[in-house]
Amino acid sequence: MIRVENLEKSYGDVRVLKGLTFAVEPRTVLGVIGGSGSGKSTLLRCLNGLERIDGGAVEAGGVRLEASLGASEYARRVKQLRRHVGMVFQHLYLFPHLTALGNVTEAPVHVARVRPAEAQARALELLGAVGLREKADRFPDALSGGEQQRVAIARALAMKPEVLLFDEPTSALDPRRTSELRATLRGFVRDGHTMVVVTHSMSFVDGLADSLLYMEAGETVEYGEAEKVLKDPRDPRTREFLSHAR
Amino acid sequence: MGRLFSGPHARPAALVLLAPLILFSQARAQTTLRWGADPSGGAPYVFADPAHPETYVGYEKEMVEALAAAMGRRAEFVPSDWETLVSSLERGQFDVIVNGLEPTADRARLILFSKPYYAFRLQITVRREEEKIDSLEDCRGRTVGTLVNTAASRLLERDGYRYKGYQDPVGAYRDLELGRVDAVLMDVPMEMYYARRNPRLKAAGEPFHRGAYVVGLRKTDEALKREVDAAVDKIIRDGTLEQILRRWNLWDEAQAALKVERVQEATGQTAGAQGEGSAGEGETGGGVAYDLTSTTFNWGEALVRLGRAALITILLAFGAMAVALALGLVLAVAQAHGPRWSGWLATAYVEFFRGTPVLVQLLFLYFGLPKLGVAMPGWLTALVGLGLNYAAYESQVYRAALDAVPRGQWEAAYLLGMSPVLAFRRVIMPQALRVALPPMTNDFVSLFKDTSVAFAISVWELATAYRELANATGEFLLLGVIVSVFYLVMSLPLAHLARRLELRMRRRRDASLELAEEAP
Repeated sequence: MIRVENLEKSYGDVRVLKGLTFAVEPRTVLGVIGGSGSGKSTLLRCLNGLERIDGGAVEAGGVRLEASLGASEYARRVKQLRRHVGMVFQHLYLFPHLTALGNVTEAPVHVARVRPAEAQARALELLGAVGLREKADRFPDALSGGEQQRVAIARALAMKPEVLLFDEPTSALDPRRTSELRATLRGFVRDGHTMVVVTHSMSFVDGLADSLLYMEAGETVEYGEAEKVLKDPRDPRTREFLSHAR
Repeated sequence: MGRLFSGPHARPAALVLLAPLILFSQARAQTTLRWGADPSGGAPYVFADPAHPETYVGYEKEMVEALAAAMGRRAEFVPSDWETLVSSLERGQFDVIVNGLEPTADRARLILFSKPYYAFRLQITVRREEEKIDSLEDCRGRTVGTLVNTAASRLLERDGYRYKGYQDPVGAYRDLELGRVDAVLMDVPMEMYYARRNPRLKAAGEPFHRGAYVVGLRKTDEALKREVDAAVDKIIRDGTLEQILRRWNLWDEAQAALKVERVQEATGQTAGAQGEGSAGEGETGGGVAYDLTSTTFNWGEALVRLGRAALITILLAFGAMAVALALGLVLAVAQAHGPRWSGWLATAYVEFFRGTPVLVQLLFLYFGLPKLGVAMPGWLTALVGLGLNYAAYESQVYRAALDAVPRGQWEAAYLLGMSPVLAFRRVIMPQALRVALPPMTNDFVSLFKDTSVAFAISVWELATAYRELANATGEFLLLGVIVSVFYLVMSLPLAHLARRLELRMRRRRDASLELAEEAP
């Protein structure tokens, strides 16, 4: 479950998020769409605690961050929050000095203190699930873009997060890989994950997202059931965006 | 005869060009007596007058002026450096050495000695509270400070005492006060001037050993030697020297005996069987006996000492690098990630240590810190000093390397639940080290060579060893080659190792890259 209430975020004088409110039900996918500079990446960074929020509240995995909290309490909650929230960056940020397997076992072994053998077995399972069991010993730069992304996904899943955040997951994928990824993510929903996927690709969220949020300049333009937003957008700005996207 | 130029004679063209200069120089050489001595810590021989630092004073200065007058010349002082006096004399920078020079067998192979003009004795000095040392024998198993390349140092070396060589007496007595050495053995004139009035020091036992000071001349300057000998005899016999020595409080029975003997010599009486007074060349004659410290140069021993110096160089380099790597990391983190005040402090540190010479820093640590109550032994001072200095450089290597790691790596680590420390250790540091390895290796090789500045604070490392052994033997060329080989043997494998590390990392990546290309 994710809840966002009147979320505000500014960088200096620039208001990037101007009071967003939405909720993501458990085991559903929210697609966040919008043009460049609409604030959708900042939204993700507020959801995982990389940015401190300036107004409102954010709740994920049962941990609530409020703008009014003191610095140390906020930091404490961010730490808690991250146990429930996993993220796959647009640029992945795999650890280049570790193999695919090393990337996946790193956090379980050193953060969650899982025994290495156990962590390794589970990591191989996860890599197998994304079709990379044979390439577990490769270093990231010896993997293709799509393979690297799947390692990043396995790395995030290794910490068993309830919520998964994706930032522009299709930017480096060809159409075939894109539809494969969509199927993979759907599988995660069935496994019980709740997801937020930020993208500007309409075709990707079509059939993946349960609900859609279209934002512009830090504000919600349209928010509702995915099918409705895609088929019958109410706001002319959404219609305009969709027409370009097709 | 002062032969100023030996090279130009071989080149006619140059000779023509230089003829006026040479003629002028030789003419000048006949009327002047250029004498070399080390005025730094040179009291009471020759030293900068504390009241008028631009002029030199000292009993030997007055004596040379008397000698020159007796020779019908004008004395001209050429400030030089104690350790390189002999080679400077050979290079023709001055005509004679007058610096409390003792005749020793190894020097006798390189230069001529005049007749002795002063009979010196040696005195042990200890700290006021010292109760265990009354004689040289009591110094066994302890460290004795003395001047390098003196009769005292030869004596200590010959009899197997552990000793530390200094460039000037000031340093030796100060280190005695600080407890860096347990005793100092020095010629009485220096002991009188630098130690006797120091309330924290005291003389241990009576003066012992008999030695003589002589004037040193080039091997080829036989005529000048005769001139100098005659002048020495003259100022001794006519009491000029006595007046000077009395003024400097240096007149004692030994000098009186020397005078009596010279006077008797002149009046045809022989001085009796007081012993052999041979100064190596056997020409000094005379009856006042003095012990010739005749340790000759031993190549096997020299190599052992060089080996020991090499070990110290290695210790210094590795120790200093360890300090630099650890402190450099702290500085880099403070500068880039700490609060503003720590960044400011780190920047000030880096600018200070990069902006001032490492030599000055070492001298400050060695001589300045004891004033604040921190007295480290020389080797530790060099290790810490070089470490502090290189930490400034390493911090910048770290910083560049840390900057090269994308910000997203930190964020990815944080989102996996890592603390900043864990993220740094497991994610950032390994990547940064890879970037930092080549420049760090280069710095290490530089540091290796920079250990040579430790000679300034009398640490027996390779450069000091080279300087002292070469000065003792005149073998600048051969020892230079040997010392260079020592340095190369140590630094080349390092550079090689670093290259291999780098290559291995690259190969590991390339190998997996190839695999990736083969797989569809």
